[in-house]
Amino acid sequence: MNNEPNKNNNAAENGEPYVIEMRNITKMFPGIIANDNITLQLKRGEIHALLGENGAGKSTLMSVLFGLYQPEYGEIYKNGKKVTINDPNDANDLGIGMVHQHFKLVDVFTVLDNIILGVEPNTLGFLKKKDARRRVLELSESYGLNVDPDALVEDITVGMQQRTEILKMLYRDNEILIFDEPTAVLTPQEIGELMNIIRGLAREGKSILFISHKLNEIMEVADRCTVLRKGKYVGTVNIADTTKEELSNMMVGRNVKFSVDKTPSEPGETVLEVKNLTVKSKLHKKNAVNNVSLNVRRGEIVCIAGIDGNGQSEFVTALTGLEKAESGSAIILKGEDITKKSIRYKNTHGVSHIPEDRHKHGLILDYTLEQNLVLQRYFEPEFQNHKFIKFKNVREYSDRLIEKFDVRSGQGSLTPARAMSGGNQQKAIIARELDRKHDLLIAVQPTRGLDVGAIEFIHEQIVATRDAGAAVLLISLELDEVMSLSDRILVMYEGEITGELDPKETTIQELGLYMSGAKRQNEKGDDTNG
Amino acid sequence: MADMNKNDQVREKTPFFKKPGVSSVIASLVSILGGLIVGFIVLLLISVCNKDMSVSDSLKGIVTVLGGPFSAGNSGDILFQLGNMLFQATPLIMTGLSVAIAFKTGLFNIGAPGQYLMGAMGALIVSLSIPTTVVPVWIVWILALLAGTLLGVLWGAIPGFFKAKFNVNEVIVCIMTNWIAANVVSWVFNSTKEKFVNYAETKINFINKTSYNGVATPTLGLDKLFNNSYLDISIMIASAIAVILYIVMNKTTFGYELKACGFNKNASKYAGMNEKRNIILSMAIAGGLAACGAALWCLNGSQDFKWNTYLTLPADGFNGIPAALLASNNPIGVIFSAIFLKYIGVGGSNLSAQSSFNEYVSPLIVAVIIYFSGFSKLIKDLIAKSGKKKKPKNVGYGTEDPTPAADNAAEAKTAEGGSEV
Repeated sequence: MNNEPNKNNNAAENGEPYVIEMRNITKMFPGIIANDNITLQLKRGEIHALLGENGAGKSTLMSVLFGLYQPEYGEIYKNGKKVTINDPNDANDLGIGMVHQHFKLVDVFTVLDNIILGVEPNTLGFLKKKDARRRVLELSESYGLNVDPDALVEDITVGMQQRTEILKMLYRDNEILIFDEPTAVLTPQEIGELMNIIRGLAREGKSILFISHKLNEIMEVADRCTVLRKGKYVGTVNIADTTKEELSNMMVGRNVKFSVDKTPSEPGETVLEVKNLTVKSKLHKKNAVNNVSLNVRRGEIVCIAGIDGNGQSEFVTALTGLEKAESGSAIILKGEDITKKSIRYKNTHGVSHIPEDRHKHGLILDYTLEQNLVLQRYFEPEFQNHKFIKFKNVREYSDRLIEKFDVRSGQGSLTPARAMSGGNQQKAIIARELDRKHDLLIAVQPTRGLDVGAIEFIHEQIVATRDAGAAVLLISLELDEVMSLSDRILVMYEGEITGELDPKETTIQELGLYMSGAKRQNEKGDDTNG
Repeated sequence: MADMNKNDQVREKTPFFKKPGVSSVIASLVSILGGLIVGFIVLLLISVCNKDMSVSDSLKGIVTVLGGPFSAGNSGDILFQLGNMLFQATPLIMTGLSVAIAFKTGLFNIGAPGQYLMGAMGALIVSLSIPTTVVPVWIVWILALLAGTLLGVLWGAIPGFFKAKFNVNEVIVCIMTNWIAANVVSWVFNSTKEKFVNYAETKINFINKTSYNGVATPTLGLDKLFNNSYLDISIMIASAIAVILYIVMNKTTFGYELKACGFNKNASKYAGMNEKRNIILSMAIAGGLAACGAALWCLNGSQDFKWNTYLTLPADGFNGIPAALLASNNPIGVIFSAIFLKYIGVGGSNLSAQSSFNEYVSPLIVAVIIYFSGFSKLIKDLIAKSGKKKKPKNVGYGTEDPTPAADNAAEAKTAEGGSEV
């Protein structure tokens, strides 16, 4: 392993200094070294991917570059000159810009207002928007960004919002553009557009740092890739000389399967039947979920696919009882109407739920791992006697789950949930939900933000519970996951099921058309309207 | 070599002083020390500015404050003051517990003064209305204690109810219920003057002592032991309640649920707990505790209760907050923090009695200590951070828990953008 990348060589092969070089960066947090002696060299005009599992230190490294953290050791050079970056303003002065995963836009402002925000051109305090507008249009045209400067941000698509963020960086003459997981929120079509934009930016001489844990994207767009693992530098490779398998091997430290091993499903009796489920939206007058009917049988994984914000979250919260459904909705579990039953009743009668937001719903971060593992079971006779908790049983149970599901943490059962990495937090939730007796598993984005190793494990577990006879309702935004894991795909668009697809017969492109509303199966549409 | 040290430092086991319990105690002690230092500086300034005093007076002064009841002089006075200190600490323990339990469940009970007043009213009315010639005294005592506590339970449940049902901030409702309680109590006693007000001793602003009806908390000779002080067994009752609360919060499913709701309401709901019921319950318990403290105070039988209270709220209600803070919300810790606050209070009154320092200086020092107790969280964070290399601009985590989930912290920070820097 090459732990000391050309340490003494401050120049790229052609003699030109690196546009950004982060040398031997070490950043420590109490109890952990987030970045351990990491070196990153960015050439002018290249697309450089930064790859690593969750907790590998990617975000920490970028925060160091953006001035949000000060490293304990190490230096940053720009064009061969040493620089110190104390805050994001310094980073901006050095031409470093960043598109955050969650955009930083003012919804009620126009695109133009957002772009000039903070660097408003003015004479004696009076705005000179005309000049700014012209410049934005020029930039938009020359990079093919296709942004309407007068549209309100709240009215435009996520893809256009992202392009607004890119324009913000260009308007500020940033030369080094950092993209933090930019594709997480996009449809397949939008991802394609983004890739073209990024290539165009690189052609114009911008240097791009592309943070991702999606190997396909990196293979497609990047020139070089630096891999981090557990805070350590693993290596930098030319994408042309490597394969997806090699990259994943570097990232995880072992070989990873990309396809999900599963036999064709053998659906049994219907476990969950949803009839005419309607949920009012909190944001607008229309229903967030409109008259959705579906059923899930034993031994099959049914996936609701769709772009974020099309009613999937509301559908699940109504299904599990976190929010109320409108009258007329019916949720039938194993023949019993549970629409009005409490969450505890559903929990104890065969519903397991891997929630969308593991910090908001899935865990009590201030509780220890063992306390979290009995979150829905603490009242069972196994864990309490006359209301007194049987700590020994809780510990034994927790130790067993930790062992079985390979949940890794600093202090085992006693680790505060807050101190665990995202992947292990998710593993803990999955251990808890799968170990409970369940006929129906509702899994909402079970692998969101996780790395390939953890995703592989979670997919195996979901397939295993299906094979054990549970019905699985999967809600996912990841198309790869939808295609590889599900036995049946339902597409949700604007609160309605607009299509039912067989993953074996459809393509990602077709799925994308349904998800963006460009296509819908009419008979289904009629069904839901009738 | 440098690398070796670095790794050792990170991987070594949690040092003794960084363990949660130990660091809480250290934090409390540092708060107290900080308060005393500032208090000393105040005394020093006064002694320098006052030409009748010398610097040594300020030194003597702080020693007097620190000595608490032991600065009283002769052993009889010391015993007497010690006994009264413990007696006075009783309601403070109860209001401290009230605030601490609410804190543990994610609620800020600033309504303790109102609950305290309601408790006092309930206990006084019952203990003075039931003729002890008919009903045995001990039954009246128990009924009075229960009545007071129950009124507090109801009074505490009000902000809990509004919080749970309509998501109204409990602080706002608590403050309103405080003043409503003050006026209700004044109104009730104003309209029943003939019955309860102490005309016999012409103390028309005060309610009859419960001993007027023969009702008084048993002392088991504690009052004699402490040189005829007011001490009775209520200090033991309060301490026992603290121990019970500790057990309930830490060993039972009920405490597990209450704390879960406090830490994360959404996850508790997801887990099938009735988070709304738990919010109401925890505020009701908090209210009951504060009211029980007031009832114990009144039922001592020696204390005057000022009934026209519509302009003032009882200090012990508010002082429950520093008592809880100083104890890091640990119920058993509250026993000691409440006693300590009264200890310093007694020291303060000895200071004004024995020296030419103004009588307002002693409450000031106590206030400074109370103020500093608010820093205990900060001090705990500093302890957690200590041993790390200092950096001039470490903007990484000010309030974030310094956890190994560093990537998450970084993301959160990144999400903030440059706005905080």
